[in-house]
Amino acid sequence: MDTLAHLMAGLTAALSFQNLAFAFVGCMLGTLIGVLPGLGPAAGTAILIPLTFNLDPTGALIMLAAIYYGAMYGGTVTSVLINVPGEAASVITCIDGHEMAKQGRGGTALGIAAIGSFVGGMVATIALIIVAPPLAQIALKFGPPEFFALMLVGLCLITGLGGGSVLAGLIMAILGLLIAMVGIDPVRGAPRFTLGIPSLYDGVGFIPVVMGLFGVAEILLGIQQPRRQIIKADLASLLPSRAEWRRSVGAIGRGTGIGFFLGLIPGVGSIIPTFVAYVFEKRLSKTPERFGHGAIEGVAAPESANNAYANAAMIPLLTLGIPSSPTIAVLMGAFIVNGLTPGPFLFQERPDLVWAVIASFFLGNILLLVLNLPFVGLWARILHLPYPYVCAGTLVFCLIGAYSLEQNVFHIGVMIVCGIIGYGMRRIDMPIAPLVLGLILGPFLEKSLRTSLEMSAGDFSIFLTRPLCLTLLVLAAIVLVASALRLQPRELQEASTS
Amino acid sequence: MPRLTKCLSVAAIMLAAVTGAASAQQDFPNKPIQLMVAYPAGGSSDVAARIVASIAEKAVGQPIVIVNRGGAGGQIGWTELVRQRPDGYYIGVINLPATNTVILDPERKAIFTEKDFTPIINQVLDPGTIWVRADSPYKTVQDLIDAAKKSPGTIRTATTGILSDDHLAILMTEEAAPGAKFRLVHLDGGATQFKEIMAGNVDVAFDNVGSIFKRVQSGEVRALAVMDDTRSKFLPDVPTMKELGFPTVISSSTRGIAGPKGMPAPLVTKLRDVLKKAMEDPEHVKKLEEQGLAIKIMVGDEYDKYFAETHAKAKKYTEWAKNRPPM
Repeated sequence: MDTLAHLMAGLTAALSFQNLAFAFVGCMLGTLIGVLPGLGPAAGTAILIPLTFNLDPTGALIMLAAIYYGAMYGGTVTSVLINVPGEAASVITCIDGHEMAKQGRGGTALGIAAIGSFVGGMVATIALIIVAPPLAQIALKFGPPEFFALMLVGLCLITGLGGGSVLAGLIMAILGLLIAMVGIDPVRGAPRFTLGIPSLYDGVGFIPVVMGLFGVAEILLGIQQPRRQIIKADLASLLPSRAEWRRSVGAIGRGTGIGFFLGLIPGVGSIIPTFVAYVFEKRLSKTPERFGHGAIEGVAAPESANNAYANAAMIPLLTLGIPSSPTIAVLMGAFIVNGLTPGPFLFQERPDLVWAVIASFFLGNILLLVLNLPFVGLWARILHLPYPYVCAGTLVFCLIGAYSLEQNVFHIGVMIVCGIIGYGMRRIDMPIAPLVLGLILGPFLEKSLRTSLEMSAGDFSIFLTRPLCLTLLVLAAIVLVASALRLQPRELQEASTS
Repeated sequence: MPRLTKCLSVAAIMLAAVTGAASAQQDFPNKPIQLMVAYPAGGSSDVAARIVASIAEKAVGQPIVIVNRGGAGGQIGWTELVRQRPDGYYIGVINLPATNTVILDPERKAIFTEKDFTPIINQVLDPGTIWVRADSPYKTVQDLIDAAKKSPGTIRTATTGILSDDHLAILMTEEAAPGAKFRLVHLDGGATQFKEIMAGNVDVAFDNVGSIFKRVQSGEVRALAVMDDTRSKFLPDVPTMKELGFPTVISSSTRGIAGPKGMPAPLVTKLRDVLKKAMEDPEHVKKLEEQGLAIKIMVGDEYDKYFAETHAKAKKYTEWAKNRPPM
């Protein structure tokens, strides 16, 4: 069994002292980001990428992946204790989690969230190991036309499912593609739209852009938010009672399943799985009236879905090179900074790295459980940090990070400008996700389009005569039209309008 | 007399600077040397540079630090190299003919020319090769050329990038076999070529021995020819283009070390001697051969001449590539 051998090698690599330390630091930082209200996983991962510049690629990616799912984990604390989600995927946890805290069951809420997240993350990682290698094998058969169509499907899904108007999504996606055009033409090698500025020859740096769009913009938004009352949770009783266990087991299982399957679809984002899991649990329950008044299933299901989603969303990235959410796009940026292109190749070229990163998900989930259960009180205390300090510290960190990218002041400027733009766009409700996806997929989209046309000597029929490619293009069109007409499952609509 | 004091102190500083510079040359190197690679970490240029650096730094007595400045087909890194002070503390890997075509392509607007480098020593000469999938109908170069003559512009032929040595090699082949015309597909490297060849999206690939020899040995792909005077020690059964009657189809990708222009001769000599010794070291030879990289040490006039010849040849085919209708 090839997969098993690779996985064992990966585990050995991930268990090395160095990589274990990176996973640990990543989990700590991720949880911290999750706990700090306003700073989401995308912002956190983007801001912390510069920390990993001097690490070897395996260590860097292990750490960044840990930051990512750590943040997904950590957001729960604030949802429960102050009714403010630390990150968007914990919005739904506020409903019953905060209610439980008010009833003095905050510890249990945090406990079941940690356990649910652990189960969700572990199961999704096992499923990833089973699904990813064959999927990568299939994807290797894809030619440039198929990859072009596939990326188009991904972009359309992000645009369509992102919530808000499809028109706004399209505008942002195209804006992202346009920014991606800046730099050296990937085929002919001629500089484009560089205004003669050498710093733009390699394009508008993805990392400073996302640091601005997420990091700086979120700091600016955070300044405007009012402070919330913190509930002092009774953290003595972290473990649920037997009755609560009975209610939670099924919820965790179903949440994991929902999170995993939605994680396979690019564009779903991290919020929708938690919503679907919650609504599903409420419908299934014999006592739906308990929901909203501290039902433990209302915490267990979405939190499991949340982390199952976070790990499952690595599948389209690792096998197809398609990031399914802005955070994953940031992670993809980290791969690229390290000279690696996520996609089916990576399994062939750097199996050592891919499997070490995948194996680190297991360790990360265990570390998070350990970090979250006994130390939850410590995390809760971070909430008392005055926001001005947090925000000033983060900003300084962003500035140093953007500079350290290439020791180039130009990137600081890019980051600040993007921060202001990102802030403005959030204020007028323009979705950021399609822009980020367009920006990161742009060069790959263009390259595959142009390679396809080289293959056919300029004949566009190459996209229509290859069955798989045609199917994908039709799918992309359907996605776009359906979302324009709002033909979405009810749960998705509820989620995206909230 | 404040003015005098000022004057004297300026003079003293200048003097110190001059003597400092002179002594700096004598006890070179007294700080770490940076060796720039114009490609990302992990590529074959990077690997070869790291191997020679790790051996040479022992003799140099100072660390040789690899600086990866990838991007824009090497242009970013070489732009940075030519801007450095020629004090020997910043040298870089040049990849002929890629460095030449960056200079020669007017669209690139490179800020440097071939005269902006001080060539120090060549390390690797990796000849080009033509290869196909193991079950391809093209068994020999002649099969391929016959097909390219019979239906010109239909055989999808992969390069490793526009104006790469492989791109130029395809033009050389077309020149040597009048009437043969290939349909160029510019892919971004050996790994992509392998994937597209195996998936049947391109028919034939031009690349270098180092990137494909292991897959030839394992039987996954078939090499039709090596574009060199002599057979490659890594592919001893594969005929050269010369043997097959195409003596003008000689193409390779080299890796050598150069500094910015104006490096003082004693520095060049010192670096060259240390690097040459490192390249002759059995450890260097063994490690490079594991990568399928043929060592070809060239220094002094020989390297200068090779640089000039490669430049002239690249110039001819770059102009041709620019005017050739894409097919």
